[in-house]
Parts: sequence; structure tokens; C-alpha cells
Amino acid sequence: MRGQVSRKTVFAFIGPAVIGLAVVGIAPLLYAVWTSLHFYNLTKLKRVEFIGLENYMTVLTDAVFWQAMGRTFFLLGTALPLQLALGLMIALVLHQPGLTLIKTLCRLSLVLPMATTYAVVGLLGQVMFNQKFGVVNQLLGGADINWIGDPENAFAMIIFWDVWQWTPFVALVLLAGLTMVPGEVEEAARLETKSKWTVLRYVQLPFLLPGLVAVLILRTADTLKLFDMVFTLTRGGPGSSTEFISLMIQRVGFRGFDQGLASAQAIILLIITIILAQIYIRVFYKEV
Amino acid sequence: MKTLRNLLGATAVSSMMATGAIADGHGWSLAEAAKPYAGTTVDVVFLLRPGYEAIEAMLPVFEEATGIKINIIKHPYENALGEQVRDFVAGGDLDIALIDLVWMGNFAENEWVLPLADVQAKFPDIVDPTLDLDDFFPLVLNAFGGWNDTIYGLPVDNYSGLMFYNRCMLEEAGFDGPPSTWQELKDVYGPALTKDGKYAFALQSKRNETQSADSFARVLWPFGGSFLDENFRSNLLSEESQAGLQFRQDLMQYMPDGIVAYDHAETVNAFSQGDVAMITEWSAFYSSVVSADTSKVADCVEIAPEPMGPAGRKPALGGFSMAVASQADEAEQAAAYLFIQWATSAENAREYLERGGVPARQSVYQQDGLEAFKFVPALVESWQDGVPEFRPRFAEWPEITEIVQEWGTKMMLGEVTTVEGAEEIGTRMEAVLDAAGYYSGDKPLAQ
Repeated sequence: MRGQVSRKTVFAFIGPAVIGLAVVGIAPLLYAVWTSLHFYNLTKLKRVEFIGLENYMTVLTDAVFWQAMGRTFFLLGTALPLQLALGLMIALVLHQPGLTLIKTLCRLSLVLPMATTYAVVGLLGQVMFNQKFGVVNQLLGGADINWIGDPENAFAMIIFWDVWQWTPFVALVLLAGLTMVPGEVEEAARLETKSKWTVLRYVQLPFLLPGLVAVLILRTADTLKLFDMVFTLTRGGPGSSTEFISLMIQRVGFRGFDQGLASAQAIILLIITIILAQIYIRVFYKEV
Repeated sequence: MKTLRNLLGATAVSSMMATGAIADGHGWSLAEAAKPYAGTTVDVVFLLRPGYEAIEAMLPVFEEATGIKINIIKHPYENALGEQVRDFVAGGDLDIALIDLVWMGNFAENEWVLPLADVQAKFPDIVDPTLDLDDFFPLVLNAFGGWNDTIYGLPVDNYSGLMFYNRCMLEEAGFDGPPSTWQELKDVYGPALTKDGKYAFALQSKRNETQSADSFARVLWPFGGSFLDENFRSNLLSEESQAGLQFRQDLMQYMPDGIVAYDHAETVNAFSQGDVAMITEWSAFYSSVVSADTSKVADCVEIAPEPMGPAGRKPALGGFSMAVASQADEAEQAAAYLFIQWATSAENAREYLERGGVPARQSVYQQDGLEAFKFVPALVESWQDGVPEFRPRFAEWPEITEIVQEWGTKMMLGEVTTVEGAEEIGTRMEAVLDAAGYYSGDKPLAQ
């Protein structure tokens, strides 16, 4: 039929992407599912055997796994609202008319934290939050706060760095949403009311929601798999105070070498992430 | 010009003699033995520690004499096991395994390394007649390089726990020597030395192998405790084990805040900065605490054996051996053996010691002129009275150490009591041993 693209052309265009996705995404996932159903310890490969859902049962009944999960969600629950609030404030300030050069410089500087490698952030944290010679204690008037060796302080430090690194991302996404608001609509709203909150709630927010949902999904997924920064900064310690779920999976899989159990943990984490993403989309898009 | 030529000639000859590169009285020479393997590259993992820097500095002489290239892949301790396990599982490039004494069960049971005798039988021409295994401290050779009465590796980076103390701080507080017992350290030295932002003692306790090896095990043995009893059941709830663990809790008041975040680097640094009067650390860190480049207290550093507990001294024992990898091809295996033999030889032991390493050769410690190495007497004493199973040396240790690290740290943080922590460790440890087949009789209770 004239105008219809041939199957060969369709495969030629889509095929490489599908094959690429299968190789780098789907195959490892299937392999993880396979290992999760086996006793599969790298140092005991002679004993590999099918054990059904035993690894999943171990994970689901392991208090340490759920403690790590709880810790991860506590981090999400504290860092994400801060990132959203600060990001929105920055976006609103940058959305104001005037001061073009300064705003451009601000936008550029917002990229810097995001562009910093996670592991480097962790190493920076080790130096800056050092109890004896760290700049943070110096800025606090020579305080003697033990940041890395105290469980609560170490957790607060992780929140600080996560907020520092990802607030700019939230700000830029929300700023993009604000630029989508038609100028005449926003101008008309400002003539109707002096309340900035009213303008934000009824005029700007609907345009921000798609970006907010994207932020929620991405930041949730990022937090659930947060690893590098914490690993280099606290290695999950002191004790288990900053052992988030990804660190635990790494510990089980690559320090205890139990790849089967670690795979089961990772699959459960993946399922939780997908469920959360679905909830975000249904709840927030319904409001739109 | 003639003088220069003579000097260069003399240097070359002495270098060759040092490496055994010329024929000795036995008619064997490194250079001759290595000829068939010249051009071979040997891949080996090294740690970021002084003993490995010492070998690296000595390496050009070996490479020049043999034509064998040693490709060093450096890792921090925490990554070394994982990197090597993945390499061996994948049939990778490593030709030598660097094995911590608690990893030996894994490497031997998985047949990733070859027994020393098998390599020697396979390549009889490369065996140095002066190798003399009896010259190694027996405890060290068997614990670091042996598994089930078979020697796989030769000890290369050898540690014993020692007490490093700041003589100046102790004298200022009115002490003329270090404490001889742990109890004395806590009850007498602790209160006197902990003041004005300075601390009497630091026990590295970070949640990694440091927690289980340097902190947890260190207080078990001197108090008569142990990880396991003779039936491989947890012994952590015994009166002796609990006494040791409770002692650690009590001693924490004389340690810096956040000691659970202290790894070797932080502990050695605190001592080197003069913030801590005493530490119990591996002999391998001696060179850094007595170097004026890295230590403010270099002139005040003295070494003693670890303090004694009710059950005796029972100092920490740790260290590494190098073994030939089974995955290497024949030329690489032979070249790897030659390198291991050379690096651990009695001939090179003195230079290794002087460059910051700690050899396991008994003969080197009988030589004159070792006064500068203050750790030698304490080290030799420790290696005659050490506990080979200071950390259980079976293949399940990587899983068990994770459990000890987690709950040992929770004890120190006060999140659980020593009894609760010991119960948790015991239950989880026994589950690992049960799954491994120790209780069903599938595996012998080999320790």
C-alpha cells in the first residue's frame, strides 16, 4: 500500500534499539531472576542448585532487609520534600522577570552539583565533614561535631549531600514547567489577585504537575538505588545507620558473594519501585 | 671513567647476587631458571600498604634479571577479595592470588590456587634449592599459606598485632612503660591519659574486616573467649567471650568519639598526630608511624607486645600469602612461582624489611643491626604465641565476618547489649555453618 512503511524498514529502525535494550537491560534482568531462584554463591559455585522461592522468603522475613528499606524510605521522605520545596523556591525566583545575566549564571551553576560524580561527592563529604579539620565544623565556629562517627549525624550528612546534589535538578525541571505557563494567562491571573500563592496553586501548579511526577519517579528510583555517594562517604556506617537498600544488596552480593540472595533483594526492590511509580502516575495525573 | 665503570659493575654484580641471578653454590640461578619464561607477564593484585610498596620498589631488579614483567593491579584491602573472586570465577587474567589468611579456605576449596608442591613438581627447574620453607615462622607459613595441611602460598605481607605507644605522652602522665595487661590499660592508663581532647587508646572498629578482625576478635581471645567451641557452635555467650566484649564497651570511654568509624588510616593518623597515646595495630604500619614525613610523634614511638588478658597475650594475627593461580597458563604459572619465590626469599628479606615490609623469614630477625626496627622483638614474640584461628579460617568466613561486623558495631553503639549481639551473631553464624554442611557431617570441623 502506498504510504505504508514496509516491515523491513520498521525493523531496521526499531531493531537495533530493541536488541540493544535486550542485551543491556532485559538479559541481565532475566539472569538476575534466574540466580534469585538458585543457591548461587560465587565462592561455592560447585553447589549451585535450584531452590525455588527460598531466597525470596529469606528476604521477606529478614528484619535487616526491612530495616534497610525503612532507612531508605526515611531518607526519601526527608530529602525529597526538602528538594521539592527548595527547588520550587529557586525555580520561582529564577522565573521572575529581569536580571537576565544573573539568572543565566544561576541556571548554569545549578548544573554543577548534578554534574559532580556521586563518588566525588562522598569523598568531598569525608573531607568537609571531618571532625577535626573539616570546613563544616570550622564554619560552625570551631564546633566539635562528630559527623561521620555518630549515627544520627551521619544520616543528616547524607540528607544534606542528597539535597545539595539534587535540588538543582528539581529546580530546573520546575523552571521548565513554569516557562510552559502562557504569559497572558499568568498576567491575567496577577491582575485578578495579589496572592502569589493563589497564582501558584491555580495557574502555575497544573503546568508543574507533569514535571513534578517525573521528579517524584526519578528521585524515588534514584534514592532507592543510591549507592556511590554513601559508599564512599560512610560505607553504610557507623553501624547500619546509613546502610540503605542498595548498599545492603551490594554487601550481600559482592562481599558475602551470595548472588542468589542479592538478586532476590534486587528483584523485590525493582517491584517496589515499579509499584511506587504507578502510584505516582495514577494519583497525580488524576489531579491533572 | 674507569672508576665509574667499576662502580656500575660492582652495583650490577651486587644486584644480581641479591636476586640470586647468578649461579650460587647449588648451581641454580634465577636468571637461568627464568630464561624460558622471559617476556611472560604476570598479573597480581597488590594492596595499598607499605609492604607492597616495598616489593614494587625492589621489582626492577627482578624484572631485569628474569625478563618477566610483573603487572601490578592495586586495590584497597576492602576491594581485594571481591576483585579476585570475580576474576577467578570468570577465568580472568590473574596469575597470582593474594590471599589474606581468612580467605585461604575459599581459594583452596575452589581450587583457584595450586599447592606449592604441585607447582614445584611441575616445574622442578625453577625451584630455588635455598628456598628453605623451614626458615619461615611455622605459625605464619601454616596460617597464612596453608589449608588442610597443604601449603599453597608463601607469606609475603605479614602482620602481628603490636602495641604502638607514645613514650612522651606516657612519661608526661607519669608512666615509665606501657601497660602489661588490658585491665591495667583501662583502669590505670585510661583515666590518666584521657584529657584535654587527647585519648588513652583507639581501637579501630569500622564496620568492615576491621570491626571483626581488629576490634571484635581482639577482645575475645585474651579474655579466654572464641568465636566457636570445639563442636563449631557459637561460643560468644560464654562467660569469657562476654567478659571480653563487655571490656570493649567499658574501654570505649577512653577512646575518641566515633571510634566505630575509625579504620586503620584514622587510627594510625590519630596516633601519628599525637591525639591518642596507644593503639594496637598491625606491624605493617610501623614504617608510617616512625616516619617524620607522616608522623608528628615519630621520635616518641615505642613498640610493645599487645597487653595480656586473663587468658594470656593472644595477639592479633593477620597477613597475606601469594599463591600460583590454577587459571594461569603454564608459562605464567612458572613465572608467577619465580616471582613469589623471589619476593619471599631469605636473600631479599633484609631489603624488604628496610624498605618498609615485614618478612616472615626467621633468619632475617637473627641478623645484626636491626635496632632501628623497634617492632622486631614484639613481633617475634607474637609469632611464637599467636592464635592461627584468631579469625576462623574456613571458606564461610566472608559471610560470617559480615554478621560480626554488623552486630559487633551495634554492640559498640549501644543499640544492643553484648548478650543480645552475641545471640544474634551466634544464631546467624550457626545458620551459615549449618548450610555449609558442618553440622550434618558433610564437612569436617577443620580448624
